[in-house]
Amino acid sequence: MPINVTMPRLSDTMEQGTVVKWHVKVGDKVASGQVIADIETDKATMEQAVFDEGIIAKLVCPEGKQVKVGEVIAVLAEDGESVTDAVSASAVAPAPRGAASASAAPAPAASGASGTAPAAERTIVADVHATDITDERTRVSPLARRMASEMGVELSQIKGSGPSGRVVKRDVLLAAENRSAAVPATRTAQGSAQELVAAMPSMASAASPSVGALVHGAQSIEVPVSNMRGIIAKRLVESKQQIPHYQVTMKFSMDAVLALRGSLNEQLASMEVKLSVNDFIVRACALAMAKNPFFNASWAGDRILLHQQVNVGVAIALPEEKGGGLVVGVVKDANLKSLRQISGEIRSLGEKARTKGLSMDEMSGATFTISNLGMFGVDNFTAIINPPNSAILACGAALEQPVVRNHQLVVGWEMAATLSLDHRVIDGAMASKYLQSLKQFVEGPTMLLV
Amino acid sequence: MSAVREIEYRDALREAMSEEMRRDKRVFLLGEEVAEYNGAYKISRGMLEEFGARRVIDTPISESGFAGLAIGAAMMGLKPVVEFMSWSFSLVAADPILNNAPKMLYMSGGQFGCPVVFRGNDGAGGQLGSTHSWCVEGLFSNVPGIKIAIPSNPYDAKGLLKTAIRGSDPVFFLESERMLGNKGEVPEEEYLIPFGQAKVIRSGTDCTLASWGRPVHFCMEAAEEMQKLGISCEVIDLRTVRPLDIGTVVRSVKKTGACVVVDQSWSFGSPGSEVASQVHRHCFDDLDNYVHRVHSADVPTPYATNLEQEYLPNARKIAEAVRSATYNL
Repeated sequence: MPINVTMPRLSDTMEQGTVVKWHVKVGDKVASGQVIADIETDKATMEQAVFDEGIIAKLVCPEGKQVKVGEVIAVLAEDGESVTDAVSASAVAPAPRGAASASAAPAPAASGASGTAPAAERTIVADVHATDITDERTRVSPLARRMASEMGVELSQIKGSGPSGRVVKRDVLLAAENRSAAVPATRTAQGSAQELVAAMPSMASAASPSVGALVHGAQSIEVPVSNMRGIIAKRLVESKQQIPHYQVTMKFSMDAVLALRGSLNEQLASMEVKLSVNDFIVRACALAMAKNPFFNASWAGDRILLHQQVNVGVAIALPEEKGGGLVVGVVKDANLKSLRQISGEIRSLGEKARTKGLSMDEMSGATFTISNLGMFGVDNFTAIINPPNSAILACGAALEQPVVRNHQLVVGWEMAATLSLDHRVIDGAMASKYLQSLKQFVEGPTMLLV
Repeated sequence: MSAVREIEYRDALREAMSEEMRRDKRVFLLGEEVAEYNGAYKISRGMLEEFGARRVIDTPISESGFAGLAIGAAMMGLKPVVEFMSWSFSLVAADPILNNAPKMLYMSGGQFGCPVVFRGNDGAGGQLGSTHSWCVEGLFSNVPGIKIAIPSNPYDAKGLLKTAIRGSDPVFFLESERMLGNKGEVPEEEYLIPFGQAKVIRSGTDCTLASWGRPVHFCMEAAEEMQKLGISCEVIDLRTVRPLDIGTVVRSVKKTGACVVVDQSWSFGSPGSEVASQVHRHCFDDLDNYVHRVHSADVPTPYATNLEQEYLPNARKIAEAVRSATYNL
């Protein structure tokens, strides 16, 4: 009986995934645990292994196509089963492996057995081939693409006359001709600003291909959206729309923490340990969370969940040459770890995120998130809550400033940090209390060492 | 006053050599049968009589020897013209012509130039078999330090050869046995044609045909055929492949949006692939289709007449490529 391999759910938030690369082809024998594909989820690209032994009978999902979790992406023929049988059985019974396929498949099984095998094989081969070349993107010659952009012709509306449906120059010219014949005034008329504004929401929500025309009179280049960019957009819109955000800012004197950091780093230099300001803040946040349990909580519709583990997420920006975007690496049990452990973990998470990419485990389970733009010289900013967290801390840079200490104007190091909070879970007074806890740890940092 | 007359390709070559030998005492010709026999292909007819045996020299069948001799002479200040009966025979002289001549100026730190012209028949001459039908531009255009001219007609042959002889660098001058008898207009007056200047020999709007040497004629035939189908071809004769005037091709492709490169050498790592690559680079957003290429088939040159014809680029293959490149198949 054929085994259907389905798109796995590789993260809590994953709804669909893309087979970026198949490592096997039809006819390959695979062993349990063997990696057969790279799958791009909303967060990372991960290797997908099979759990059964068998022979690859069909690769249902072409490379680059996004499919929903649970959809069949490949079919395995079991030991002793022919590839053709497996494909025909699975074609009749696309449901997950189960009893249905046996009873539902008598017809093809009979025809397969009655000496018409070559014909069946032919159709299978054709079928597999057709699947292989399924590719929904529009093929366009470079010239046609340039002309369409210059003439404002919608490429997705054109049926290409070239090989494999490639849109070529003459197709664009024809489309432009038809358009000017069919739509005399409205499209070419100079739209008023109001019309444009009115048109925008629908364009945005329908991911309209004519977004290029959004800014009146401006030429735009369309940049395809990566899986990650798509998920950032979706999740942050959800967060900002659904969570009643508010912000509370506090300034912290950084003199003590900088002095402690300097002295520790001097002593740890020989061990190649270098603590960053952010490491202290992660530890301080974790300890403050342990004291303020509602900062380690999630809104769950009709109740609030207080998490029993303090996991601090750290936003990591990815390099532009890797496609940009950001991921959140998670330091688990951050309240139970030393500064040195936290520092080492964050360093390796950052390096791995920027090179190989983080595993799902390394990105899951944050109960609080810190976004630090201090290294870019930012004074102060606000962040959007990373659901299902109830709060996120946005840290600016520690800056040397005139400050008042003991009624004297002196020069000191100060940092502003802004909490964004979910008002369903945390009220303003609670936020202030948390910031005070944080302040105690940051301004009396020896507490972070014990 | 310009007197226009028609002469053969071989006469154009001789005129170029003779004029330069009269002009400059350092120029001399050497090769197999160039003197007493008046040239294996009668290119040097009468030259022994005019210039004497010191300047028109018969050599033994020893390409490596006389090519090396010429390089030494060039290094010491003379300006030799070496005739290879066929470029196929130059392969035994690969070390002097590829390993010494093109590198001499560089390796001597500018002390020795190497102003030598190697010339001879290139490409299939007609049933000469695999070993005597080389298109050496596929191999030799890979080497920096040499110039390569591949003229398609008597006018270009004369103007380019005079430039080659007057220059200070090694030049590989690729002629064709199949074109030596071709006639063309060549003025009486002296003229030179600079290297690295392509010529648009037919203008058109739908597809650019870029070629050099003998296949230029097949391109013109194909363009004529295409005109009947309403496809207007622009034909460009590159004339030299090193230096390569890609600008003229690029300007044309930006206009036509389609390009077919025709090169009678083998396709893998050839001047044709280089032209196509550069067109892709410079015309990426102007191309309505990938650059098509027509080459000799990727096999040793066949001996049988029918197979040899099928092996070489021809007007039919070029026409097919044009139709494909312009989506008219």
